[in-house]
Amino acid sequence: MNGAGMNEGYVNENFVNEGCVLEAREIVKSFGSTPALRGASVAVGRGEILAVMGPSGSGKSTLLHCLAGILVPDGGQVLFGGQRLDTMKENPRSALRRDKFGFVFQFGQLVPELTAEENVALPLLLAGARRAEAVRKARAWFPRLGLDGLERNRSGEMSGGEAQRVALARGLVADPEVLFADEPTGSLDSLAGERVMDLLTAAARDQGTTVVLVTHEPRVAAYADREIIVRDGVVTTTPAAPAASAAAAFGTGRGGS
Amino acid sequence: MTLLGLLERKPSYGYDLKRDYDGFFGRGKPLQFGQVYATLARLARDGKVSAGDSEPGGGPDRKRYFITEAGVAEVDAWLAETAEPEPHLQAVLFTKVILALLLGRPAESYLDAQRAAHLRRMRELTALKRAGGPLDTYLADYGLFHLEADLRWIDMTAARLDKLAEEVRR
Amino acid sequence: MIRLAVRLTLNGGREAVTRLVITAVAVALGVGLLLAVLAASNAIDAQALRTGWFDITGSSDIHITGSSHSAPGASPEWWLSSYDAYDQQPIERVDVAALGPHAPVPPGITRLPGPGQYYASPALAALLRSVPADQLADRYPGHLIGTVGPAALQSPESLVIIIGRAPAQVARADGAARVTSIFTGRDPTNSTQGIAAVLGIVAIALLFPVLVFISTATRLAAARREQRFAAMRLAGATPRQVSVVATVEAAIAAIAGTAAGFCLFFGFRSELARIPFSGHPFFAGDMRLSPPAIIVVVLGIPAAAAVVAHVALRRVRISPLGTARRVRARRPSAWRTLPLLAGIGELVYFTAVGHPTTVNGQLWAYLGGGALTVAGVVIAGPWLTMAGSALLAGRASRPAGLLAARRLADDPKGAFRAISGLILAVFTATVAVGIISSMTENHALQTFGAAGRHILIAGLTGPRNLQDPNAAPGGVAVPASVTGRLLAVPGVSSVVVSHVRPAGTTADNLVDCGQLARLPVLGSCAPGASVAAFDLQPMGSTPGTRRTRVWPTVAMSAARVDRLPASGLLVGTNGATATLEQARTIIETSFPLQASPVTVFDSQGQQLLAAWQQLAGVVILAGLPIAGCSLAVGVIAGLTDRKRPFSLLRLAGAPVGLLRRVVALESSLPLLVVAVVSAALGLLVAELFLNSQLGLNLRPPGLAYYGYVAGGVLLSLGIIAATFPLLSRVTGPEAARSE
Repeated sequence: MNGAGMNEGYVNENFVNEGCVLEAREIVKSFGSTPALRGASVAVGRGEILAVMGPSGSGKSTLLHCLAGILVPDGGQVLFGGQRLDTMKENPRSALRRDKFGFVFQFGQLVPELTAEENVALPLLLAGARRAEAVRKARAWFPRLGLDGLERNRSGEMSGGEAQRVALARGLVADPEVLFADEPTGSLDSLAGERVMDLLTAAARDQGTTVVLVTHEPRVAAYADREIIVRDGVVTTTPAAPAASAAAAFGTGRGGS
Repeated sequence: MTLLGLLERKPSYGYDLKRDYDGFFGRGKPLQFGQVYATLARLARDGKVSAGDSEPGGGPDRKRYFITEAGVAEVDAWLAETAEPEPHLQAVLFTKVILALLLGRPAESYLDAQRAAHLRRMRELTALKRAGGPLDTYLADYGLFHLEADLRWIDMTAARLDKLAEEVRR
Repeated sequence: MIRLAVRLTLNGGREAVTRLVITAVAVALGVGLLLAVLAASNAIDAQALRTGWFDITGSSDIHITGSSHSAPGASPEWWLSSYDAYDQQPIERVDVAALGPHAPVPPGITRLPGPGQYYASPALAALLRSVPADQLADRYPGHLIGTVGPAALQSPESLVIIIGRAPAQVARADGAARVTSIFTGRDPTNSTQGIAAVLGIVAIALLFPVLVFISTATRLAAARREQRFAAMRLAGATPRQVSVVATVEAAIAAIAGTAAGFCLFFGFRSELARIPFSGHPFFAGDMRLSPPAIIVVVLGIPAAAAVVAHVALRRVRISPLGTARRVRARRPSAWRTLPLLAGIGELVYFTAVGHPTTVNGQLWAYLGGGALTVAGVVIAGPWLTMAGSALLAGRASRPAGLLAARRLADDPKGAFRAISGLILAVFTATVAVGIISSMTENHALQTFGAAGRHILIAGLTGPRNLQDPNAAPGGVAVPASVTGRLLAVPGVSSVVVSHVRPAGTTADNLVDCGQLARLPVLGSCAPGASVAAFDLQPMGSTPGTRRTRVWPTVAMSAARVDRLPASGLLVGTNGATATLEQARTIIETSFPLQASPVTVFDSQGQQLLAAWQQLAGVVILAGLPIAGCSLAVGVIAGLTDRKRPFSLLRLAGAPVGLLRRVVALESSLPLLVVAVVSAALGLLVAELFLNSQLGLNLRPPGLAYYGYVAGGVLLSLGIIAATFPLLSRVTGPEAARSE
């Protein structure tokens, strides 16, 4: 990567991790007098699926928000492709999120008065695409995620699992570089949740999208390549090195005693 | 291995060892004296413990046993080593946590390491579900749910370590 | 229990306080309006009481011959009331001459002015000082010795002058009367019924926007309140206790609102007094509230609010589980458009086919058609909103437009409710403006054409025959010097003298065709004629008098006509104020007490119409922002519904500007459409009315109307924009943290 040359917003250092698309260095963030992050650091490789785990109140959502440029940390650095996010102003950060990132939240992100295909097309419309084009691209996602026939439905007219898959389509429709998922299966039962995670990981690997996934459920985190634990505002060091983007299938493992 | 750990805490007579073991780990299945002395003899032969001088009165129960450097190293290695992530690991995990607390080792990092190992195994099983057939999926799911239960225990215990430490070091 | 309820209401947290404030503001507006209407009706009476003293000559013959009601020992006096004018403002002028030491003194002054003295009202005194003497002050002989007090003034801006004269002068003036007492009180010929009707219409037109605002505010509170009440029930409160809390909450909001309404009223009383409900502004002191009215309002409004809350809550049983899941409202059906189509159809039918023959029939046709149309718009509103926004949604290419259109199509009733109150206000005001401005314009235009407003017309009446007071007065000789002075005024184009026809013939006037040719707007003679019969009165002519009128020839020589006494002067000017006023002054000083020069705009009736046009503008200016308030409250209510999707959209990178655009489109689009539609309907009804009743065509309203509309719309948009900071805060990143 370019270590030499001082451009505004670029860090003049050799990167610790080559191929790292998103990095947080010693992030500190407090809300009022409550500290949420006290020096958290993480590096996310390109195309990697990273799970961020930890007990509630540990600051994992805050870490996601800082990585995504939603919040500006009080201290530390956030880098995306070498560019400093924490020093950007509100408008360019917002534009970056619009163009390069996708988001899936636990619930409630679909606009209730829009149809499903309009919801999915929203990021493309926001980026300035023409309506017909955006809806066409959005429609292509419906059969892919098992949502045939639901294009014209409102969010109130579909089940929770279907709504989350629509939200997933919305997060991926603009082919983002990074997909941020904050408890995407939190309000779903196991079966619906598994379906969402299957589709999420398959689509992400297809498109080469990096995924940062916040969850407290181990079975959801098991879909990721690697996990980090956030405890009391810091990231506990992971014993394993970042894995390759494609996990090989293993056998049933060594037998028990 | 448990006896070796207990010996590291303090040198003891065989009788004391059995009493301590039953207190912490027995739980309705007390150790037999014969087992104790046989294990002690084997450990001594392997150089992990050494027997002190006999007290007047003779008999193996009057010997005081000390742990050797080799023994300490073995306890360390055993504690640090993660258990194979299989279901029904309650006994092993429990033992390790109690011993770590008794010996003043960092129980938390052992738990962390175990959690990482469990998650690694869960990742393997999840990948297996994607690649394998329906039968593999059922088996993998069984494993996943039980590993998840273990992880829940690990999380709870990690949150309660302080209290547990108090209780154990009485 | 009540104390607990009070504590709960006042300490309920920021959201509860916000609800309280919004409801209180709505109540304050309503109470302020109510108080203004009550005070205005009192003021109209108070004002009318001051009108009687001026125009006593028209009242009865008793005054002329000597009243039998004369106070013992009172001397008579000669009294002449007339209307002068300056720059289209009427001046009430009294020339008075005392015949003895105890002559009656009109209200507002302490003693009668002697010859060479006069009293003027404050407004006129200021005018006398500021305006060049040859345009105003020269008309009045003498000097100002004092001010006419408020007891004699209809409004603070009234122009009144009481001039002292020698008795001989006044006695010979046509229309003078000999009086021994001055009647103070209401002028019996001037009824206040019409004015009261106008006040009533204004009150109703503004009532609807205010009611809608109050209803929107209480709806906003209701949804959140239900959650709180459900929680209270869950904690064990009985329905009755919950009802007490709701009643107290409503009463507190109403009390605060009533107090604020009183503050609003008294704070803006002088501004309110300036609004010309009766055609003339009031004195601030006129706008009084009677003590019984105050008591009724202060006690009645909170009591009414409490009762309404109690009754409303009784019908809704708050279960501990709160209200059921919100089900999507039924879509408005297309049948709703029927009344509107019927109304428009009726109006168009009457235009095409012709109006009913009887006056009553016509009234029913227009009032009925108009009422049906307005009601039709209100009923069809939700369907029209839904259809229109569905159409927009299908074609919207920008995300803001798509979001706004879908929201409107989803909840058309809610969106329309907030602006429904506006329809009546804009409609009635536009009808009024359309009719009035066309009448005024048309009158002058159709009588004399565009230049008609620039003509100064002075009727000249000769001295009265004192022996035979009932004989018609003769004419006046117009010296050439007067004509010369008039023509010397810059801006005067020509002077025409109309002459009295010799006795024995008809009562027409005669004009020299040579003079008439120089003022072609008055009509023309037949080719080759030298003298024509002429009609001097422009105001009394029927509509449709055309300025291309050819006056009938009279067999007489121009020289002979010029020697006849004059009955009037017509001066053609360029319309500049200075020119008109100088000409007017010259005429009045040349023929004191014998001439009253007027333009077509100087009549009292015209003044009233102009004032009512202004009133209509005020209704629009007030009604639009109130509708804007309702829309703003609707925006706030909508925010709580969509807080999560919007804040998550922002997290995903949508700029705040997008949300602002959505909110702006959702509220301002219906507002503008409704305003335009109501105005168009108003103009349509005005056109139909004018066409059939008066045979006039609708003239486009003047700039003032558009100014009022634009001002009102800008105010409403401003109010809507005031919700933007709330929007930013509610959808900020903190909002998404609460999961």
